[in-house]
Amino acid sequence: MSELNNSAPKKGLAQKFDDFKALDARDKRSVIGNWLLDHAMIIIIVLLVIYIQIQRPAFLATASIVNIIQLTASRLPIALGIAGAIILTGTDLSAGRVVGLGAFVAAILLQKTGAVGRFFAVGDPWPVLIVILLVLAVGAIIGFINGFCVAKFKLHPFIVTLATQLITYGLYLTVSSAKQISSLDESYTTNLITAPMFKIGNTPVMMYVALAAIVTVIMWFIWNKTTFGKNMFAVGSNEEAARVSGVNVTAVIIGVFALAGVTYGYTGFVEAARMGASTGTIGLNYELDAIAACVIGGVSFVGGIGKISGVVIGVVLMQLIMSGMTFLGISGSITYVIKGAVILIACAIDMRKYLTKK
Amino acid sequence: MKKLLSMVLALTLVLSLSGVAMAEGNTQVFWYSLSDVYLSNVRTSLNADFTAAGIEFVDQDANATQTTQTDQITTAIATGTDLLCVNIVETGADGIAQNVVDQAKAAGIPLLFFNRSISEDVVKSYDKCCFIGTNYEDAGIMQGNMIGDYLLADYEKYDLNGDGEISYIMFKGDEANQEAIARTKYGVENADAKLTAAGKPQLKFYDDSNAQKYLVDQNGTWSRQVAQDYMTTVLAQYTEANGNMVELVIANNDEMAIGAVTALQQVGYNNGEGTVTIPVFGVDATPDAVENYMKPGFMAGSIKQDYEGMAEAICTISQNMIAGTDMFANLNENFTVTDGWKVVIPYAMYTGE
Amino acid sequence: MQEPTQLLVMEKVSKSFPGVKALDNVSLTVKAGTVHALMGENGAGKSTLMKCLFGIYAKDDGHIYLEGKEIDFKSSREALDNGVAMVHQELNQALKRSVMDNIWLGRYPKIKGLPIVSEKQMYTDTKKVFEELGINVNPKTIMSTMPVSQRQMVEIAKAVSFNAKVLVFDEPTSSLTEKEVDHLFRIINMLKARGCGIIYISHKMEEILRISDEVTIMRDGQYVATKAAQDLTMNEIIKLMVGRELTNRFPPKEYQVGNEVVLKVENMTAMYSALQNVSFSLKKGEIVGIAGLDGSGRTELLENIFGSANRKEGKLILRGKEIHNRTPKESISNGFAMVTEERRATGIFSIMSIRDNTVISSLKKYLNHHAYLSNKAMAKGTDWSIKAMHIKTPSQSTKIRALSGGNQQKVIFGRWMLTQPEIFLLDEPTRGIDVGAKYEIYQLIMDMAKNGKSVMMVSSEMPELLGVCDRILVMSGGRLAGEVDAKTATQEEIMTLAAKYV
Repeated sequence: MSELNNSAPKKGLAQKFDDFKALDARDKRSVIGNWLLDHAMIIIIVLLVIYIQIQRPAFLATASIVNIIQLTASRLPIALGIAGAIILTGTDLSAGRVVGLGAFVAAILLQKTGAVGRFFAVGDPWPVLIVILLVLAVGAIIGFINGFCVAKFKLHPFIVTLATQLITYGLYLTVSSAKQISSLDESYTTNLITAPMFKIGNTPVMMYVALAAIVTVIMWFIWNKTTFGKNMFAVGSNEEAARVSGVNVTAVIIGVFALAGVTYGYTGFVEAARMGASTGTIGLNYELDAIAACVIGGVSFVGGIGKISGVVIGVVLMQLIMSGMTFLGISGSITYVIKGAVILIACAIDMRKYLTKK
Repeated sequence: MKKLLSMVLALTLVLSLSGVAMAEGNTQVFWYSLSDVYLSNVRTSLNADFTAAGIEFVDQDANATQTTQTDQITTAIATGTDLLCVNIVETGADGIAQNVVDQAKAAGIPLLFFNRSISEDVVKSYDKCCFIGTNYEDAGIMQGNMIGDYLLADYEKYDLNGDGEISYIMFKGDEANQEAIARTKYGVENADAKLTAAGKPQLKFYDDSNAQKYLVDQNGTWSRQVAQDYMTTVLAQYTEANGNMVELVIANNDEMAIGAVTALQQVGYNNGEGTVTIPVFGVDATPDAVENYMKPGFMAGSIKQDYEGMAEAICTISQNMIAGTDMFANLNENFTVTDGWKVVIPYAMYTGE
Repeated sequence: MQEPTQLLVMEKVSKSFPGVKALDNVSLTVKAGTVHALMGENGAGKSTLMKCLFGIYAKDDGHIYLEGKEIDFKSSREALDNGVAMVHQELNQALKRSVMDNIWLGRYPKIKGLPIVSEKQMYTDTKKVFEELGINVNPKTIMSTMPVSQRQMVEIAKAVSFNAKVLVFDEPTSSLTEKEVDHLFRIINMLKARGCGIIYISHKMEEILRISDEVTIMRDGQYVATKAAQDLTMNEIIKLMVGRELTNRFPPKEYQVGNEVVLKVENMTAMYSALQNVSFSLKKGEIVGIAGLDGSGRTELLENIFGSANRKEGKLILRGKEIHNRTPKESISNGFAMVTEERRATGIFSIMSIRDNTVISSLKKYLNHHAYLSNKAMAKGTDWSIKAMHIKTPSQSTKIRALSGGNQQKVIFGRWMLTQPEIFLLDEPTRGIDVGAKYEIYQLIMDMAKNGKSVMMVSSEMPELLGVCDRILVMSGGRLAGEVDAKTATQEEIMTLAAKYV
């Protein structure tokens, strides 16, 4: 993400300090203020962690840290997918339901042989690799439809993805009759997604953490190192400029939504294994948490702005809140108030960075 | 100035956390949904019982989403809680409950399921685990019997179009919920049994083209609003003038029953003196249904889920579990313990008298 | 000397839109190594002709030849690939991205054999182009952090980087200062020397006469004439363009500046920009011009007075009483009005009607019973504005974007007149406006002064400042470099002052 840095000649720390000392009191205050603002999200996270840690010393125990990492890993890919849509000044409301559909497809194909109430009465679980590709393809197809409608019919993504959200859920209900699919094969669950990779202390870290890390690296690469990624930012920043410069804007929009769809399919695949079943509520409202995380992490609805690191910070903050509230023993009703307040305040602070100062 | 403001905001954020009353969080209660009416009655009683018993507790809201709840439970286990009370979201899939039980078992934390049903195998897979609920079929069976008796008391009065049959509408709370499925089934079957025994024809679903013979809340929230919307739509087509008026309303819970009553009231039914009253039946006997709908005669009857008893049972067993004594010690004798895993809180018919 | 080859020939190009013949048999021949100016009022068909060249519109009739070969581009990308590039008037840039991302957009260099964009190559290639053109901009700077003039230079560099044979410049100097214009002309001369053909579209006649070899003039979608630049004078061009003679470019001054000082500005210093310690006073009925290079703090001065920028220090004294103008709202209630520089971005509400655009700043006046807006009252106010400002529009409900730049600007003037201001702050009031319409804007400004209003006017066009203002303040490096009397000052004098603190 170095290309976003305005590369003023790099100064040594000592030089910076001297520069700082040379400023008058008022400018000093504003330099400090700006620094605080630029790092507001990290500062909030650190303050939050310190505060919870003082109140509940068990918070930074291994079990708890691993739990937060695992929760983050489960929600990160979908946020990375949605971030692309936000960079295009759009949004994607279909995410959660695509996750649900992906979970369903994975679950029916990977049910144990002879499980009671098996979806396909006969047959063996499919090879996991084929299933994962299939689930990713399902996500990609719905994403493709989203992108196609946005790019070709010039509809706002809000409307398009609201429609596909309903359609996806309807299809899921029709095919599944809202049945839960459990008794999933071990090759899928405990031997893959929820397989312990290694232990920290006594707490095992599960495989999907590594998978999420791989997804994140791939997304970072796509965003920063490929023509497609750069075109995505350009289209988000100024669609017309991109078009005039010969960028195939339609292909970029379709690509961004399809890629997002792939991350939803992936999330569905992981969620079914994590939950031990596919149900109608898997994925419900995931998109809202993901959008909130993106915006907290500085992916702006203005378009063309966003970093992978920001999305990661956003997701971590959201999961910290959830886990922190549990630690502090705050009741469910108040949790909503705090979550809402955090989203609002975090975004307000983050937005200050982008305002042109006059 | 604005910068100062944002700093103040950030500070408020952190400080606001400390302003909230915090409990030690020894016991964590995971509710399927904080907005469910029956459950909120249980919660009010339980909170009072817990406080009286000196148990520190925290209520968590899954907001009708299993993944949220599972993540909450995982997090609670990581915090080292003493007891987990789970009102599980997904009742149809053993895999999900088993997942929760396995986690609790691995951490050695006692686990108590309540209200939303769990299968025997899952509960029995962990010695520090039990289920407090009802025989979920009972509510539907009782509701069906009640309806049968009610109609037989004055059959001709309820057969508005005089075709000899009673046409009914059924509201189902959640497509995949076992209790909803049972209530939908027995609420009609048991009424039919009573009617046929008395030589009357079976109930007839108001809409022949609907093979399911029920209307379901697709969000799975057993919601008053959804039932009201359905009923309003239905009443636009099915009227006394057309000779096809709906003559009986059966709902899986009181909230949906109230929704139906409200829709009926809007078109001039069920308003007490001087208006025709369509019999409407629910389940739960919530305070709202009892006080505002059954006592004035707008709603015909309900099945009382004993929320105070439910809370009492949860509290007693929680104390035992925390103390590490026999789970079912000192339990009120109205509650029966089945097979060492299930505590049954009995239902009762309720007609507002 | 060899006769220059014909590089681009457009022959009898026609284009119709429903109800309008936008181009009627227009021909244009650009020779290699020359600058060909294309002139005409807004709506004369210059842009349409260029859009036909770039395939944005499909021409109905006619032929286009590039180096003798007939061409018919389907997209601007195809034109670029064939060596025909355009520097757009409205900067079409991805502002959130870096300079080099913008230059190579749509053709990012890849690391050999891999689907990975090579940042390094992008950087060195950009550097190379910039060095060649003498542009001093860091390729990694984010576009939105640079002033418009630098962004314009980047756009020019982008066009050059395509190694284009034909380059079209559409109003390239509208946001450049004199110094930058000189720089641009050096670049153009360099391109000329390379044998490129340049089509130069501009309203500024001094520039046209300075840079171009040939001039083609269009009017109402029709070809009027092509002449060698050295044979033309400004008046002739105007005559050809407007079809009548415009003897005076500026209206005569027929009023006296009052003696009463209306506004005193003391030690104005901005919080975030370079503006510092500017003090001056403004008299009743006076038009004060503000000259200076781009970035010298002209716009910032107006913004600080109007409260749309954060002030660090400074006092405003209106008729002997101190006022604060902390926000534009407060300034408006103190009798100030401001017409902003970028009309499209911050002036008009393009999809709203003329009426809505007119009454937006004075809505309170049209409330009936303090509750709801009265259409009748709003129509009356708008009607007054249309008449007083001489706005040419079919109706009040016409969307403002359908009007020409000059008429849009008049609507904005009308909007502010309805707030009954005492002091007008105008930032580049005639940017992108036709010659004919400019005269009317000047007339409006002078009428305001005549009616006892005071005007402060920022402009990059020195003849305009000298022709319209009474007094000119010259800014340099955020400071006030000096003050000249518009009646006696020369352009050289102003330029010297403008360079004082650079």
